[in-house]
Amino acid sequence: MAAGVAAWLPFARAAAIGWMPVASAPMPPPPRDKRRGQDGLIILNVSGTRFQTWRNTLERYPDTLLGSTERDFFFHEETNEYFFDRDPDIFRHILNFYRTGKLHYPRHECISAYDEELAFFGIIPEIIGDCCYEEYKDRRRENVERIQDDEENDNNKDMVLPDMSFRETMWRAFENPHTSTMALVFYYVTGFFIAVSVMANVVETVPCGSGPNRAKEVSCGERYVLAFFCLDTACVMIFTVEYLLRLIAAPSRYKFVKSVMSIIDVVAIMPYYIGLVMTDNEDVSGAFVTLRVFRVFRIFKFSRHSAGLRILGYTLKSCASELGFLLFSLTMAIIIFATVMFYAEKGSSASKFTSIPAAFWYTIVTMTTLGYGDMVPKTIIGKVVGSVCSLSGVLVIALPVPVIVSNFSRIYHQSQRAEKRRAQKASKQTGQALVCKSNPTFETQHHHLLHCLEKTTNHEFVDEQTYETSCMEVSLAKPSMSRSSSLSSSPHGLSSCCTRRNKRKSFNVPNSYMADGRRSSIQELSTIQIRERPMSNSRSCLNAKFEETVHLNSEEQSYITAAVISMPTPPVTTPEGGDSASSPNFLQSNIVRVSAL
Amino acid sequence: MGVVFGTFSMHTKQVTFRTDNVDDELEMTMVCHRPEGLEQLEAQTNFTKQELQVLYRGFKNECPSGVVNEETFKHIYAQFFPHGDASTYAHYLFNAFDTRNDGSIKFEDFVMGLSTLLRGTVREKLEWTFHLYDINRDGFINKEEMTEIVRAIYDMMGKYTYPALKGDVPKQHVDVFFEKMDKNKDGVVTLEEFVLACQEDENMMRSMQLFENVM
Repeated sequence: MAAGVAAWLPFARAAAIGWMPVASAPMPPPPRDKRRGQDGLIILNVSGTRFQTWRNTLERYPDTLLGSTERDFFFHEETNEYFFDRDPDIFRHILNFYRTGKLHYPRHECISAYDEELAFFGIIPEIIGDCCYEEYKDRRRENVERIQDDEENDNNKDMVLPDMSFRETMWRAFENPHTSTMALVFYYVTGFFIAVSVMANVVETVPCGSGPNRAKEVSCGERYVLAFFCLDTACVMIFTVEYLLRLIAAPSRYKFVKSVMSIIDVVAIMPYYIGLVMTDNEDVSGAFVTLRVFRVFRIFKFSRHSAGLRILGYTLKSCASELGFLLFSLTMAIIIFATVMFYAEKGSSASKFTSIPAAFWYTIVTMTTLGYGDMVPKTIIGKVVGSVCSLSGVLVIALPVPVIVSNFSRIYHQSQRAEKRRAQKASKQTGQALVCKSNPTFETQHHHLLHCLEKTTNHEFVDEQTYETSCMEVSLAKPSMSRSSSLSSSPHGLSSCCTRRNKRKSFNVPNSYMADGRRSSIQELSTIQIRERPMSNSRSCLNAKFEETVHLNSEEQSYITAAVISMPTPPVTTPEGGDSASSPNFLQSNIVRVSAL
Repeated sequence: MGVVFGTFSMHTKQVTFRTDNVDDELEMTMVCHRPEGLEQLEAQTNFTKQELQVLYRGFKNECPSGVVNEETFKHIYAQFFPHGDASTYAHYLFNAFDTRNDGSIKFEDFVMGLSTLLRGTVREKLEWTFHLYDINRDGFINKEEMTEIVRAIYDMMGKYTYPALKGDVPKQHVDVFFEKMDKNKDGVVTLEEFVLACQEDENMMRSMQLFENVM
């Protein structure tokens, strides 16, 4: 709840007078209003610059230096002001946070200086407003990276973690070759052999001059069969060993086997093994030759060695829809022009445009302005259509390309920003839950107001689960009237007492008892609820003294147990009233307080 | 031709131009209102100067323009009752504070209402409550009006209550109280009947004193 709305609480409480004529039950007593003295001005002297504000403004956030008694350490008796030896320019923003509830980050300030001031005054950066949050996070990330780079330069050699197992060391060596010399050697060796293998694949198709026994030119591969075979074997050996080692070292083998890089590895070495297995049969050698094509996929193994390739692959993947649209529009244009061309050239003799698919080739060659000249229109209509085709081809190809390029960069930055924002939002919410607590007086008065509403309507606030179970209970209560005696006689006083002082986050009621009397059934509910984590702050502690909680079985309390309020608002720190001190607990999810009436 | 199709098929997002409307709205909200002087307000209400200062600072913080319209009022009031729907009751409250019936509450109206509620005599408080319940301002409360108010109060509880709200609980609630208040059984409650019935109820009188020290 915004700090400003807290100022309207007196109004909301006064308006509760409107409920009085129709109130079913008497109102609970109001909380003790601890008068904290006059609402005076406080002078804050920050390195000579005087700031002044109301005491109430500072005490809105009792969790910070200025809002708590910690500021007394800085009180300067002679001048009757609080003196801080800090930067006044940044302090201005901090003081504005108290005034408006929003923390802003000035762009011209250094991020580390700002962070230091925030840490000094006890303010968590996660509450920076949405307007400045992205900028703040970006600057912070850059700073952190800069620090990390410096640290890496300082101590890159001695990163020995002796408590990692051999498997983990191996995996780390594979993923980050810079960690150890062995890993670096391995990295370069595999890179070298990838290059050698690819080069061999290329060179073996080059004609090498005529062989000794033959008249025509043979390729190098056929001339030096043994040499190439040995080279290929060596490379495949290395690749296989590497793949097996990675498989062994992988923390999750299943995930590793599914990953793209490992599939590329497998595809790269498979043809060799299949070739070993297969004989030199005429039927299958054709298929075998096709398989050798897959050897060229070894070049993709370079993407482990090059970050740029990985980025390119990622960008292509993320722009798939744009590329699809381009392809689709091109296909439509090709079909249209090919059809027109075909029918235009149908009449002419010896026309190469034998069918529409044959005309596709002409259309593509013309639209991309290649113009091989193997297919040329002869009729006048054909030539007209051909010229329109080539002109529109220029437009069709040229126009979407910059759009796609800009889409690339836009999508790339957007996805980066979206991920950033998602990560930021998660940490922001946790931070906000920690810091945005209104003062305890406000909370007690707010609770009293809600309590009055409960009394007026004679119903209590519960959370969803209690509501559903109570609905089920009421419907089950009718049939079984017989079992009341055993349940009501059992001493539930103490256990329910403990329940009331416990807070619980969630519970599952087994609902095994068919209790009829509402009181006993609800007492069952309360006993079941005990088993959860006990926390300090129950609303009952606010209104009732400790001794009173023991006398649960007294007759005047007609509504026993489980009234639960789940408040989306932040938790109360310390309850007012003369109760035992309960330490504030921070919950990041809904807080559930048990109020027994 | 591929261009035409290509460009059409690539427009996946819709662009709306809303700049004009935003400017108009900005102009309308620049209306500002300043309250009368502090001395005058102090004379008209039962608050001290310091209390008025505190009230005004809170008021101005939430409504910098100096007036509260019904939307803002509902929004502020709803923040205190996160479980249910406080808008209906806030609507009736707004009408009770808006004595001039012009759709906005200025600081003077706000402070006069609060003065009655917090510092007024019992009779004044009861009269204020009567006016709150008398929705159509005809000087009588009939059963429908009371049911409206009580229904609005139950709305603030929300759905998840114990015991669960089954049947027409507000109506039953009203039946009980209306019987008590309508002394001459003519189907409406006049101001005198209302005041008399409330003064007879010990609990209510005690409850009303509870809110004295709210400020």
